[in-house]
Amino acid sequence: MSYKPDESVLMAYLYDELSGEQKVLMEKYILENPSVMKEIESLQHLRTMLTSVTDKEVIAPPIVMSDSNQRFFWNTLPMAIGIKTILGIAASLLLLMIAGKIMDVEIGYHDNQVSFSFGEPTERSQKLAEANLTAEQVQQMINSSMLENNKIVKAGLLESQQKIDASISKNLALNSIKINKLVQQASQASQSEIRQFVAGLQNQNQQLVKDYFQLSTSDQQKYIEGLLIDFSKYLQQQHNNDLETLQTRLTGIEQNTTLFKQETEQILSSIISNGTTSNRNKNY
Amino acid sequence: MTETLLDIAMMHSDTLITRAKQGDKNAQGKLVQLWYKRIYNFSYKFFLDHDMAMEAAQKTFISMCRNIEGLQDIARFKSWIYKIAVNYCREEARKTKNSRWVPFDKIVNVEAEESPRWEGSSVRYDNPEKQFQQMELSDILQKSLMELSVEQREVVIMKEFEGLKFREIAEVLNISENTVKSRMYYGLDGLKRILEKKNITKETINYEL
Repeated sequence: MSYKPDESVLMAYLYDELSGEQKVLMEKYILENPSVMKEIESLQHLRTMLTSVTDKEVIAPPIVMSDSNQRFFWNTLPMAIGIKTILGIAASLLLLMIAGKIMDVEIGYHDNQVSFSFGEPTERSQKLAEANLTAEQVQQMINSSMLENNKIVKAGLLESQQKIDASISKNLALNSIKINKLVQQASQASQSEIRQFVAGLQNQNQQLVKDYFQLSTSDQQKYIEGLLIDFSKYLQQQHNNDLETLQTRLTGIEQNTTLFKQETEQILSSIISNGTTSNRNKNY
Repeated sequence: MTETLLDIAMMHSDTLITRAKQGDKNAQGKLVQLWYKRIYNFSYKFFLDHDMAMEAAQKTFISMCRNIEGLQDIARFKSWIYKIAVNYCREEARKTKNSRWVPFDKIVNVEAEESPRWEGSSVRYDNPEKQFQQMELSDILQKSLMELSVEQREVVIMKEFEGLKFREIAEVLNISENTVKSRMYYGLDGLKRILEKKNITKETINYEL
């Protein structure tokens, strides 16, 4: 009973991971101790039970790795990322400064004014000097300039007035002459025109009257002719009608006479026949 | 057969790791394909939640692709990647520890819980009853695993399901090998007690199976 294995040896034995010498020792120990044998048996049984646990089938999803070799030198250091942004800002600032230097930009602040100029600011000093004049001087300057201005305006007005007057008189003279001429022409023209017009009117009237009478006489002739023809036609018709009536009367009389003749003949014949019959009767 | 195939894959993965280390995106993609299932299942057993497991697994692989150039020893790739995974799992667990919420799509449906999940089964057994019992047992075991402390759970998952050596687990967690073994022992012991409490013992399982 000198050898007493602990649980780690037991486990190594159970999974067959003991070296030759230790294994022999363990086997011997197990044979001597039935309780240990029982324990090992139960553990082995547990192991066989555990084999019934099956693996689940699974399909490996595609694992796509980006190519990590495509890295620039500034991406390799994590610290460099901060430096990169700072460098970027510095570069842009430098660019701005160079641009300013090339274009000679000057930015200044004077008397609550921010000035932004390309080159030296020049007009400022002169303007400031002029601003030192007093109010009276300014007034005088304004007055003198106003007077000068008035003079010039007056002269201009006079000049223009004279020009206008001259042009008006010229125009008036020209227009009166033209009007006189026109009036004379018009008067002369009117007398002769009226005469011509009246003569024309008379002629026209004469012709109209002539035409009218001619037209009316021819119409009357035509009308009377027609009337006479119609009347003659009527008379002839009447005559024909009378003749026809006469003829019919005559034929009527003819017929009557023939009838009478026939009647008389009949009467005669009947009288004759009657006479004979009576005679016969008398004979009977 | 599967073992040898796995070995070939692992051999292949060594060359893949060297190429990925040199910055070959294609090799990195293949490495993700190769290891995704393992890392996902590790995270799933850690959380017992699909979304969180996906989150942790994706983060793990994004980190892997970013940092694989700094990997010193190719032989230690396994412990290295599990180290990343464990860290992300812990981080996720810490994040969700304070905000407990119930997702709408996981409302417990008693009828659905009791009915066998035919559509969900990937492996078909001859005996449907046996298959159902297997699924039920798997569920119970995973839920029991969740009752362990984080330290014990990590070790049990890595040892029992991911097949890491005690030395590798010690490397992942940055602790001594003995501590790992001790955590494993107490983890298994705890699991045994939890299962006993749920009346799942050697006898009942034998009877049921």
